[in-house]
Amino acid sequence: MIKTTTKNLEEMTQKETIGYLNETVQPEAGSIPAFILADPKIYDIEHKKVFMKTWLFIGHESEIPNKNDYMLRDLAGYSIIITRDSENEISGFYNMCTHRGMKLCRADKGNKSSFVCPYHGFNFKNNGDLIGVPLQKDIYGTDLDKSKLGLHKIRIESYKGLIFGTWNEEAESLSDFLGDFKWYLDILAGRAEMEVVGPPQRFIIHSNWKVGADNFVGDSYHTMVTHGSIAKLGMVPSATYSKKGYQIHTMNGHGLNLGTPNPDFAFPEELKSEYKSNLTDEQYDVLANLKNMIGNIFPNLSFLISHTKVKGQLISNTTVRMWRPIGPDKMEVIAWFLVEKNAAEDWKKRSRDSFILTFSPSGIFEQDDTEVFTDITAAASGPMPVMKELVYNYTMGMHREPVSGFNGPGVVYDDKFSEANQRNFYRYWLDLMNA
Amino acid sequence: MSLEKMLATYEFEQWLYREAERLDHIDFDGWFSLMHSSLIYQMPVRVNKEGTERPDYAEDMFSFNDDIELLSLRVERLKTDYAWAEIPPSRTRRYVSNVKLSDYVPNEKASVNSYLLIYRSRSTDIHHDLISGERRDEFIYEDGVWKLSKRVFIVDQTTLNTRNLAIFV
Repeated sequence: MIKTTTKNLEEMTQKETIGYLNETVQPEAGSIPAFILADPKIYDIEHKKVFMKTWLFIGHESEIPNKNDYMLRDLAGYSIIITRDSENEISGFYNMCTHRGMKLCRADKGNKSSFVCPYHGFNFKNNGDLIGVPLQKDIYGTDLDKSKLGLHKIRIESYKGLIFGTWNEEAESLSDFLGDFKWYLDILAGRAEMEVVGPPQRFIIHSNWKVGADNFVGDSYHTMVTHGSIAKLGMVPSATYSKKGYQIHTMNGHGLNLGTPNPDFAFPEELKSEYKSNLTDEQYDVLANLKNMIGNIFPNLSFLISHTKVKGQLISNTTVRMWRPIGPDKMEVIAWFLVEKNAAEDWKKRSRDSFILTFSPSGIFEQDDTEVFTDITAAASGPMPVMKELVYNYTMGMHREPVSGFNGPGVVYDDKFSEANQRNFYRYWLDLMNA
Repeated sequence: MSLEKMLATYEFEQWLYREAERLDHIDFDGWFSLMHSSLIYQMPVRVNKEGTERPDYAEDMFSFNDDIELLSLRVERLKTDYAWAEIPPSRTRRYVSNVKLSDYVPNEKASVNSYLLIYRSRSTDIHHDLISGERRDEFIYEDGVWKLSKRVFIVDQTTLNTRNLAIFV
């Protein structure tokens, strides 16, 4: 008989698995085990302990600008309807008829004031109220209390137009969850009146969601190589441009890399007064010198402001993207394009086209990332990474001290090549897995 | 159908087959030479509508929205040593069918609709991707050859089940 004393995740209880995570996931020591990127058991626990508990991104208020607009979204694997009712109130409901559980709505978005269930015709107003039951008096008499059969309402809150939701009634407010990170989100989404253009781009990558979050939360180091083609084409100054700037993280796993300085103003000049009226002097100073800003709101909403040269002209684009888990080794990428509503039409169009060229399924930055994400996930799969205790090294920048003197909040390092943000991301992830 | 239109339809079928061959054989320069300088190369994002309202694709968001200059950039990029998404290149096979010719003016212009099925296999992966859709093409006759001046590719998925579009449609 072959002897074996190796760990086997399949045979562990949930409690033992979490104990094993505590032994092996060591953010402060710069060591993260490979198995957490592909193991089905970790994925299941993560769904319950992370995705069912935290705030998750749903969409942007500008996607449903008019009364009675609605859109269909996903919240931790469950279909939800986001409506703007006749009172202009934005609400979220579980996309399920309260009578027998049928899905009420299947279009991505639209405009209507009520939703009729295709099964028995129960009719729900877009504020969630049940307003019609076919043949009600005839078949229920006077006993049916419609007020108790409204749609299941979801807790949603917005920050600067970004709508988040959670299944967790106990969760702190969105504002508290985002905490100090809001200072940077103001620059991302609150610098001007922003609007989403078009539907989000959606595509599948055979990758664990954390690889995407890890990449955006703090990995500027990879741009030199993975995105080497971009510098070769002259779209960015040099391969090492990505080092310049700050790496910043705050509580709850949030983090970003701030590329600065920039000799050029990356945004429409004519909106300077709008930016100034929405930002503090310190925030405006960051905006005015911004080359790029790339980060992740825990757990899976990444964002990017990117300033590149397209057809000889500098242009920036702003995007948020969700790494929506659909399996241990599979995610749907949902990428929204945001732009200043008051920018000139030509600027908006050029900004959109630079987004499509660089960060969309065909994006010449994005496509090289997807190759990496896929192969990392494949290499982390199966029992071997547990047996052989494969770990990744996350020690970059551990010898460095944060700087003071930077105007924004959080723990700030004075260049972007560090893994402090990834360590902070995995620390909060581990805390939630234990909670 | 007139004999002239039959012959022209055949000619465009052959054009599309030759195009597919160049792409499937990783001859991007050869493929690029088939394009007209006024090219519009678009792939709108497909969306789910409630019923039969059309179009069921976005008119303001695309997965490709290139002119000749941007397409040239993509082709040049694929030739750098850093275009990892296609190192080594995917094995692709483009199946073109249902070719229909309209707005045909001999030696001047033509509109051609066709169906496209792309099979894509990468590395040792036994999983494969299928990309299905409809091409709405326009051609201009220039210097004795037909050049593609517009392509709108209407993809049949709202969530693309392929890791990227480092390949052409």
